Amino acid sequence: MSSALPLPSPAELLASESRAIQSEFEATGDGLTATRRRSELVDRVVRRLFQEFASPAPGGPQNFCLVAVGGYGRGELHPHSDVDLLFLFAENRDQECFREAVATIARTLWDLRLRVGHSVHALAECGELHRDNLEFNVSLLDCRCLAGDTRLFAALHDRVVPRLVARERQDLTSDLLEVTRVRHEKHGGTIFHLEPNIKEAPGGLRDYHVARWLARIAELERSGCWTVPEESWRAALRDPSRRACAFLSSTRCLLHYQRGRDDNQLAYELQDLAAASGIGEPRSPGAPQAVSAAEWMRAYFRHARSIDRLVTQMIDEASATRSSLYVQFQEWRSRLSNADFSVLKGRIFPRQASAAVKDAGPLLDLFEMVARHQLDLSREAERWVEEALARLTAGGEASPLSLPDLWPRFRQILLLPHPARALRVMHQLGLLDALFPEFRAIDALVTRDFYHRYTVDEHTFMTIQGLNDLAELERRSAKDSVHPADHDEIMTLWRMNFADILAELERPELLAFALLFHDVGKGMPCEDHARGSLDAVEGVFERLQLPAADRDTVRFLIAQHLEMSATLMRRDIFDPEAIREFSRVVGTPDRLKMLCLLTYADVNAVNPEALTPWKTEMLWRLYTATFNFLTRSVDDERVRAAEAEAAKTASVLALAGPSATERQLGAFLEGFPRRYLETHAPEDIAAHFAGALRLAVEAADASVRARGHVHELTVIARDRPFLFASLTGALTAWGMNILKADAFSNAAGVVLDTFRFVDLHRTLELNPTERARLERSVAGVLAGEVDLGALLRGRTAQPVRRAKIDIPTQIRFDDASSSHSTLVELITWDRPGLLYQVSKTLAELGCDIGVALIDTEGEKVIDVFYLTSEGTKLHPREQQRVREKLLSLLDLP
Amino acid sequence: MLFHARAAIMPLASTRNLGQETNAMRKLEAVIQPSRLDSVKGALGEIGVDGMTISEVRGHGRQKGHTEVYRGNEYTVDLLPKIKIEMVLPDNLVDAAVEAILKTAKTGKIGDGKIFLSSVEEAIRIRNEERGDSAL
Repeated sequence: MSSALPLPSPAELLASESRAIQSEFEATGDGLTATRRRSELVDRVVRRLFQEFASPAPGGPQNFCLVAVGGYGRGELHPHSDVDLLFLFAENRDQECFREAVATIARTLWDLRLRVGHSVHALAECGELHRDNLEFNVSLLDCRCLAGDTRLFAALHDRVVPRLVARERQDLTSDLLEVTRVRHEKHGGTIFHLEPNIKEAPGGLRDYHVARWLARIAELERSGCWTVPEESWRAALRDPSRRACAFLSSTRCLLHYQRGRDDNQLAYELQDLAAASGIGEPRSPGAPQAVSAAEWMRAYFRHARSIDRLVTQMIDEASATRSSLYVQFQEWRSRLSNADFSVLKGRIFPRQASAAVKDAGPLLDLFEMVARHQLDLSREAERWVEEALARLTAGGEASPLSLPDLWPRFRQILLLPHPARALRVMHQLGLLDALFPEFRAIDALVTRDFYHRYTVDEHTFMTIQGLNDLAELERRSAKDSVHPADHDEIMTLWRMNFADILAELERPELLAFALLFHDVGKGMPCEDHARGSLDAVEGVFERLQLPAADRDTVRFLIAQHLEMSATLMRRDIFDPEAIREFSRVVGTPDRLKMLCLLTYADVNAVNPEALTPWKTEMLWRLYTATFNFLTRSVDDERVRAAEAEAAKTASVLALAGPSATERQLGAFLEGFPRRYLETHAPEDIAAHFAGALRLAVEAADASVRARGHVHELTVIARDRPFLFASLTGALTAWGMNILKADAFSNAAGVVLDTFRFVDLHRTLELNPTERARLERSVAGVLAGEVDLGALLRGRTAQPVRRAKIDIPTQIRFDDASSSHSTLVELITWDRPGLLYQVSKTLAELGCDIGVALIDTEGEKVIDVFYLTSEGTKLHPREQQRVREKLLSLLDLP
Repeated sequence: MLFHARAAIMPLASTRNLGQETNAMRKLEAVIQPSRLDSVKGALGEIGVDGMTISEVRGHGRQKGHTEVYRGNEYTVDLLPKIKIEMVLPDNLVDAAVEAILKTAKTGKIGDGKIFLSSVEEAIRIRNEERGDSAL
């Protein structure tokens, strides 16, 4: 110190040097250099204070030293980061003569406006695990001597910390993993936030540090050596993560300088600024290379993804060595290996070379495994996908990857328990976008609004994830929580209602499909994003060769995806007129169920707090009111030929053949419930129409076909008493278990009954000729040529087993809903021949069934009949008789 | 997305009079039908009130709940969903705000809700400790 000039005061030094560092950062955008220089600057200040207040001697005092820990220990200080200091003593008694010095140093640093976090410890305390203060233990993993007794520091560094780690590795690791898990959960478990916290969110700087700590713990335990943690990472993980760390570091410097405090939230206006000043981009001297904020954010997400990949890998390795139970579980999963892929420690490895992949088929096989077993890809599998994809799409980036049986294969993934997981990785590796270039429009897309918290692609995956979670929801008896106390408990009870609806969906894959594309329009230059999504999805339909009826369903869901929310927001859901109008929009119970779940999933994926119990209840109320309206209005909402849907009738007519006339079709449709038109595809209606025309020469037209794992019987006949009972009787005699049925009739007295049934004895499956025999048998019963009584007697009575859960029989009459029928809703437990017994009893009591809606949910039967007696509503006396008869029939002793 | 609740601060440049005695302030609370929120917010915006706190609440007055039976299970609504709007206004805006709410929240049916007015002694902006109606 032989300078002629007086030393500047610490305050002056700090101020002038900080300004210099800031202007250098503004010129270069280099955050790593800025943080290193700031750390060196603070070193100079802290050492000066130590000399001044603790010990002016060059060798320092004995048994006392000053240690930089945490980020400061690493030599990285962002402009407003905490400065973590450890005042280390050999023994507690050594503190006595320095108490004043410690307090003065800390106070002076505070007065310099440095945010100091300081702790005072004896050496032995640093060797203990502080489970209530994990931060302290972890901060010692980055320690650096600043001043004082170097032998004391050497004892900490070379002996105490390595021994602590060697002894407590398991607890230290598991605590670290737990706080990481909690932190990730707090941030929705995703990197794709619209305004991410670049330090704390997944893929942020903290995750990079966690990866470093885990590597350091492993190395300290193994060799006791303080190596550079990054050097133990494979280059494929290390290099992108280092670049990501530099990118985030620069961004964090910008945030701190802009905000003037330790604020790490990357708000929209800061995204604009970062993009405009070319943060993270290589700089040519002079002008920064400005990019758009959206492009810049995509770069951010790329970097966050690198760190996310790194930390996931490190956590995996740490977990695997942690618990033998975990290892056992992973070993068990290795049994999931097959000819094409092996599974090791919960990760999939490909067995064939990527060069052997000739089309997208093997790639879809891989993701089917992910969706089925909730597995992760190994790094090798990721590379395998990327290489195969690069070759398959070579030269034709723009044209989508095709596969002849793409829809059945993709559909399979959507139907498995974990499609969201598979889709997310397919998107990360570019497969989803190669198959569906429409999806590229929303890749890491930030749309700025008040409510959404995630990028559009991530929001999309979260919607599907929300449905997957519903399906996984642990079934709990509502009785266990009669008085739900906390918010989570209340939400779980509500969610169970939606899980029930999900379980009833016939085509859940169409809902997932619609969700996948419902927001792609947000990435397109159009006013109305639903319109954009609809336009985009048409190309997908074509490539997948999706059946026409499925296209209609998906179009409906995308077009109306905001309708249910809008009704909740703008209409009084307790007003019958609002319910009627909304019912017209949805049309059928199936579509209502899908739209309700879509709305649930969409709001649920906006941000973790968006779906409040209040909103959930509103959605449920609208759903039940609409469902009930749809069920109770079938009788009054009828087709008038003059106002029938022109497009639909035209396509039916086109399918019906040249001899059919428009007038004939009009006469056939006249008076059918609208529900009939809405629930049937033109092909079905054309077939029914042809059957009705044949009634001129036949007594009845019956046809049976397989529909997935159930069969469907469709009967067209002229109405007469006991018709419905005869049909259910015939099916019962054949040993068929009826799950669902509709009975409708038109103005001309033509009845159209549809039954879905399970072939318990696999009669139809094993003997293909039996199908025709069943059709003849049904037609024969209706024509009076086959004696139903004899048919039923030939059948050995099946033992009646009570349902496993208690379902008390309920019978409700409703005279108000229909203008000319009495509705009866019957709820009871399912048993063989039930519907035959019920419909026979109703017929014997003189009731005509105008409409029947038969449904089964597990062991619960929910039947609705629209009854008339001699053309009018049932008299209360008749209702009483029906109730008594049915109760005595249904309530077994 | 259904509703968005946020506490916002309403700038009232015209009534700023730093260092002088400030005008009286009143708190307006309105419980309304959820379906009227958009219209009510729009009407308040038109008269220059755009800062308010909105909460999802449940309750009932004379409008009693009802029971919906869905697939054999009874779902009783005894507390109906409502929206509560709260704002503190300088005296000279209160009448216009009340009128705006009456005009837009009224459907004429039971259950349209209520408006409550009370006086407020002081308002303090936390950021800069401004006081009185200039803190609104």
